[in-house]
Amino acid sequence: MLKYILKRILLMVPTLLVTSALIFTVINLPEGDYFETLAAEMQAQGEKADLSRIEFLKTEYGFDKPPIERYFHWVTGLMRGDMGYSFEYQRPVSEIVGDRLLLTMIVSFVTIIFTWVVAFPIGIYSATHQYSWGDYGLTFLGLIGLAVPHFLLALVFMYFANVWFGTSIGGLVDPQYLNQPMSWAKLRSVLEHLWIPVIIIGAGGTAGMIRAVRANLLDELQKQYYVTARAKGLPPGKALRKYPLRMSLNFFISDIGDILPSIVSGAEIVAIVLSLQTTGPLLIRALQAQDMYLAGSFLMFLSFLTVIGVLISDIALAILDPRIRLQGAATK
Amino acid sequence: MTSRRQHPTRRTALLLGAGAFAAQGLPRGALAREPNPMDFIDSPYWAGKVAAGALPVITLRLPEEPRVIDVSGPDRIPGRHGGTMRMLMGDQRDIRMMTLYGYTRLLVYDDNLELAPDVLETVDVKDGRIFTLRLRKGHRWSDGSPFTTEDFRYWWEDFANNRRLSPGGPPQALLAGGEKPVFEVLSETEIRYSWTKPNPIFLPSLAGAQPTYIYMPSGYLKQFHERYADKVTLYARVKAARVKDWGSLHERFSRMYRPENPDLPTLDPWRNLTPLPAEQFTFQRNPYFHRIDQAGRQLPYVDEVTMTIGTNSLIPAKTAAGESDLQARYLRFDNYTFLKDASKRMNFDVRLWKRAEGSWFALMPNLNAIDPVWRDLNRDVRYRRALSVAINRKDINQVIFFGLAKESGNTALPESPLYDAENANMWMQADRALANRLLDEIGLTKRAPDGVRLLPNGQRLEFTVETAGESTEETDILDLIKQDLHEVGIKIFPRSAQRDVFRRRILAGQTVMSAWAGMDNALVAAEMEPDALAPTSSMQFNWPRWGQFLESGGREGEEPELPEVQELVKLYQAWRGSVTHDERRTIWRAMLRINAEQLFTIGVVNGTLQPVVVSRNLRNVPEKGLYSFEPGAFFGRYMPDTFWFDDAQVKS
Repeated sequence: MLKYILKRILLMVPTLLVTSALIFTVINLPEGDYFETLAAEMQAQGEKADLSRIEFLKTEYGFDKPPIERYFHWVTGLMRGDMGYSFEYQRPVSEIVGDRLLLTMIVSFVTIIFTWVVAFPIGIYSATHQYSWGDYGLTFLGLIGLAVPHFLLALVFMYFANVWFGTSIGGLVDPQYLNQPMSWAKLRSVLEHLWIPVIIIGAGGTAGMIRAVRANLLDELQKQYYVTARAKGLPPGKALRKYPLRMSLNFFISDIGDILPSIVSGAEIVAIVLSLQTTGPLLIRALQAQDMYLAGSFLMFLSFLTVIGVLISDIALAILDPRIRLQGAATK
Repeated sequence: MTSRRQHPTRRTALLLGAGAFAAQGLPRGALAREPNPMDFIDSPYWAGKVAAGALPVITLRLPEEPRVIDVSGPDRIPGRHGGTMRMLMGDQRDIRMMTLYGYTRLLVYDDNLELAPDVLETVDVKDGRIFTLRLRKGHRWSDGSPFTTEDFRYWWEDFANNRRLSPGGPPQALLAGGEKPVFEVLSETEIRYSWTKPNPIFLPSLAGAQPTYIYMPSGYLKQFHERYADKVTLYARVKAARVKDWGSLHERFSRMYRPENPDLPTLDPWRNLTPLPAEQFTFQRNPYFHRIDQAGRQLPYVDEVTMTIGTNSLIPAKTAAGESDLQARYLRFDNYTFLKDASKRMNFDVRLWKRAEGSWFALMPNLNAIDPVWRDLNRDVRYRRALSVAINRKDINQVIFFGLAKESGNTALPESPLYDAENANMWMQADRALANRLLDEIGLTKRAPDGVRLLPNGQRLEFTVETAGESTEETDILDLIKQDLHEVGIKIFPRSAQRDVFRRRILAGQTVMSAWAGMDNALVAAEMEPDALAPTSSMQFNWPRWGQFLESGGREGEEPELPEVQELVKLYQAWRGSVTHDERRTIWRAMLRINAEQLFTIGVVNGTLQPVVVSRNLRNVPEKGLYSFEPGAFFGRYMPDTFWFDDAQVKS
């Protein structure tokens, strides 16, 4: 087992290296760079972009050097824990991302919990009451959440929250609490706003999860051991909890690998529509503006979390399900 | 009346006495009187700090001769201090809007678009080449440090002529015929710039919306400058800020146009308190601001301005929910009905201001297209005229702007002293027959079975018109134009691209024709640089390569080939060397005329409307205004420092 984990950890290094090269290449693919984007924006505004100034900034940030050199500069920096410098915000990337991380995590955690709390009972109910009215009704509701575009839901929710409850539009707190230390009033304001993104982001995930729980559980419910257990008189609740439910959780644990990065990156589009100051909009904006170190380092951070997440879920699965562990051993 | 004057009655005597008494309330700048400290009125905002001795009293904070703003007129009344003005922005970079709205410059454009001293007390110009600038005695930066000619010297010697900080040398506005000025510090409040040739862009560039700064807060910045700072501390600072060297450090902390550094002293009405990045920026009144109203009340009236950053597409909705007190940025004409409806429920008015582009939408035939067939066609004036008269501008105005815009070429607006109705209407009539005749004259007589004309080489007369695709209005207009052009045998395909891609394609000559706004500033005056009318920049989409040629001093791009364009270049250079106002006006007129005749840009409509949302409690915001970056600095020319809140509950 230890050997397995060690091997997995060693494998992460080349994976991340290849990822970093890919990220750097893809970000550099579009022609031009941040400074040209800047010039274009200034011009749209009617401002004159001083060309010598732009040249100056380019050399200032090493853009006169070949991409390979910049790549090595960036990667070696990452290894030392230096995420580089954001042109747009004029400060180290870590400072910018750090500020938004907490908020993103709050939104994502609550969303994940929301998804579980809603999806599990519905999934179990749907599986045990297959093809009943309840099954159809609840599944339908979940699918609506999946089918309606999130940005549309976001706009609708925001509008009614404003008209009915007077919640300020967009953001996670009322404007007067911005830049203020956390207080009870601020927390209340956060809670007042939080339910909108949570429901919207959660809606899509809920439908998916309901389906997964339902399908997995149905598989198990038809298996011999369950039928036997029931036939021998085990009460339905206990029979369900003891074996099939547990068996149907495999998919859920292998999902952990995805959960980790999504806690940090959140749902970008919804965050943009709701103008949440989370990391999602930051990343998209950085990609648009070709603020390459910000975008690149952030993507690297996400890849790193994915790799860690996959590792955790692999270990958890190996512990949970002996069959997986055996297979792992057999290939050695 | 005359008898009364000879024999003053008791009544007139009383009136005279009252007048004298009232005059006492006036600041000393208005009347030549002995200064009376009681004349100035400070904002209650500072009362605590002043009482605690943390801030000097108002008399010591104002320059000896503050600038007196006469806040009066039909919709301007003197106000009182207090309140927080809320605004919404879509991007962190938008904090530069405060530099615009504050519009504090060495010189500013007044209501008649004439240059008037603002930060400066006076300017003295000799022969258009010797400029003596006089500062206000006792003027201070927002941190209380003195603002003197040392700040100009620092900028000139230690910034503009420092290899590390300005590798390109001093900015264009300080070069006349490529020459640097002779710079002299005459006293603590007087400096002189003199050139051997006239330099007409010097003063206008100081008054620009994005001005040429020729001063810097030297007291603050010296700590980042190699020449003044202690080596060890400077090195520690470079390390702490994680930048390359002292130059990057200086660059980062010295931006005056984008007030990102809360520690950087400013002369603006409000100063930023919030470091980047933030969701909300708070701007606080500058305790040393140099303007007062006629009652001696220090401006700005409003104590604080907040800028909340959010998604720009949400700004109309947030504005409609009453979250902004003054908003025009990110609102578009198509939001008007929605906002108007919301204003019935909320505490704000929606006003319509006029935009000041030469053309809100213009077709730009690329005279530097790579493809020789299209390039030659675009260079044929008959072709450009045919395109112009084929367009039915009236329909476009009716359909897209409810008839509220003005059908016009890309030229000066009626509000400009250089407006000429003939220029605005030349080749603007919808005349399909004329268009057909002109196209036939070029020799495009053959047609394909579907009616599209054929070029001499058999190619169909069809091409794409590219836009930056930022608004649906643009593509709607293009759809209408598409119909019009189809009637005369030209087929176009509107295509929108992302802004940077769009720009790059044009520069590379890959575009045949593009759509973009016309002249950014159509409120032109003879004293403004006529750079938009001649190829002067690679950002002019109708002749990017020619523009690049001039911009780079002939190192890149191509030399203009068309005689009319060469004429424009000649006129532009003549303006750069001009001395008198008359000379400049003549040159401007000639350039506007050539542009109107030649249709290098094909304007469609101008004078379109900009919704401006104003809280009902906010006074002194004009009912009607002109909204433009240059020369108005958006709200800047209407002086937001004279706006005030008329309600008891102002939170200050």
